[in-house]
Amino acid sequence: MKWMGGLLVAAAVVSSAAPVSAYLKLGTSVDGRIIDVTWRAPVRYFISEVDAPTASAADLRGAVARAAASWQAVPSATVRLEFQGMTAAAPGLIDGRTTIGFLDRPELDRVLGATSFLIDTDNGAILEADVFFNAPFAWSVSPQGTPGRVDLESVALHELGHLLGLGHSALGETELTGSGGRRVVASGAVMFPIAMAAGTIADRVLQPDDVAGISDLYPAPDQLTTTGGITGRVTKGGNGLLGAHVVAFNPETGVLVGNFALTAGGEFVIARLQPGPYILRVEPLDDAEVDSFFSTAIDVDFRVAYASRMVVAPRGGSSAPIEIKVIAK
Amino acid sequence: MTVLRCAGAMVLVCLCAAGAGAQEAPALRPHRVVLDGGVHWSGGYPIGDATAQLRGNAAGNAPPPFTLFAARSDVTRATSVDVRVGFALTSRWLIEAGASFGMPRVGVAISADREAAAQALEGEQLKQYVVDAAVLWHLPVRVGARARPFVIGGGGYLRQLHEERTLLETGQVFYGGGGVRYWLRGGSGAGRAVGLRGDVRATVRRGGIDFEDKRRVYPTFAVHLFVAL
Repeated sequence: MKWMGGLLVAAAVVSSAAPVSAYLKLGTSVDGRIIDVTWRAPVRYFISEVDAPTASAADLRGAVARAAASWQAVPSATVRLEFQGMTAAAPGLIDGRTTIGFLDRPELDRVLGATSFLIDTDNGAILEADVFFNAPFAWSVSPQGTPGRVDLESVALHELGHLLGLGHSALGETELTGSGGRRVVASGAVMFPIAMAAGTIADRVLQPDDVAGISDLYPAPDQLTTTGGITGRVTKGGNGLLGAHVVAFNPETGVLVGNFALTAGGEFVIARLQPGPYILRVEPLDDAEVDSFFSTAIDVDFRVAYASRMVVAPRGGSSAPIEIKVIAK
Repeated sequence: MTVLRCAGAMVLVCLCAAGAGAQEAPALRPHRVVLDGGVHWSGGYPIGDATAQLRGNAAGNAPPPFTLFAARSDVTRATSVDVRVGFALTSRWLIEAGASFGMPRVGVAISADREAAAQALEGEQLKQYVVDAAVLWHLPVRVGARARPFVIGGGGYLRQLHEERTLLETGQVFYGGGGVRYWLRGGSGAGRAVGLRGDVRATVRRGGIDFEDKRRVYPTFAVHLFVAL
């Protein structure tokens, strides 16, 4: 059995991000193919007893419980998170326990929280995942939010998404700030890598992109027959375009869900969609820190493009592949 | 505007009829079957405006959303093939059932995208089937020597299949209008009659492909060849 540890920077107040939409799953290579990284049993977690200056361990326990309830309430997914108790252990230790807690990491002045994993690389099973919340930040657990403070439940919802195997979504728009970071202008997913403005509680509610992602990882029994998918290929000059971001928009429901072209051939799959016709929009991650999404270099030199027609996500199946051609800027 | 244009056409038909003389015109023979086939043209109609929006990031409980892009969709005008079978109850009343097949397109116009120019997508092609029933009443006037005006009303079942044939949308159509039946041969005695029939209708569609689930009204013009057995 092989073991692999990884660290995901999950949410920063000011960082770099991408202006579009998509959920991304964590994956690992097994025998040359990428498989999803998922839990194969209920997630049993502990809460660290350490308090932060502005929030207690009990506050954290409550925020995590509410966030866990939000993920478990997704009807199209089967997610189970079980609180096991408080612990004196800190998150980040390889001890066979999934621990969530505050850590004092003032040097990570843009990181609100992060999730690390222990993964069985033979089959992609998550064996342990720890989440830390950066204690020096001013946290809020007020039901209405607190001006100037970061909502703990919102960040917990994001981190639990990582803990369950979701990567970052690119469903959002940002703008550069004077300090060189980026400010979120708009967001369409809790799994967007940059947090909303301090004081807001908008990210306590999962968005369709998040729901599609978790339903893809842990589909409820009826999901394979009641939802559909869209497949296709993004090309530039006839060649596949790895990393192109494809957004599916349902004009009837207003739902936005996306994914990336994840192969060198530019193939993409957007799964767990409500059956119906979708408009497809392709956008580069051209103003993002690409390493928030990919560990390899990707081509971002192309213009926004649309599929030439609407594509139907059929119930219980996938669309015929559609090619979306883009051109250089 | 579409409805008004249809109504105008119907009034024109009725005025023509009113101007006819007293000479006896051809008529349907009671209790006979009338076979009918031809084409009809359907006008286009919108099927919904939609805006792809993200949650705005601003203070307050409900910051304004951010528009990623807007999409306006419509079903384009189309030509359909139409076959009908009628039964003359009297010389003026006829009931008929019909089926038509057409292939309109769903067009999408994209706008309000900050990173892309406004553009019209090529759209997808539908396969559209309508099965309907109607009642025709031939007015007790004639138009010229061999034509007789009629009014028509009916409704039917709409079936629209998306381009990849993986999604079916169904609905209903209802229509009313008027037209003229012109006898090329026969119509005034025993034996088979052959002629042309043209009509204009205002059609109301409910269901089918529509992103706003609204009723849509569009004009239909038909030209048929008929054989009265």
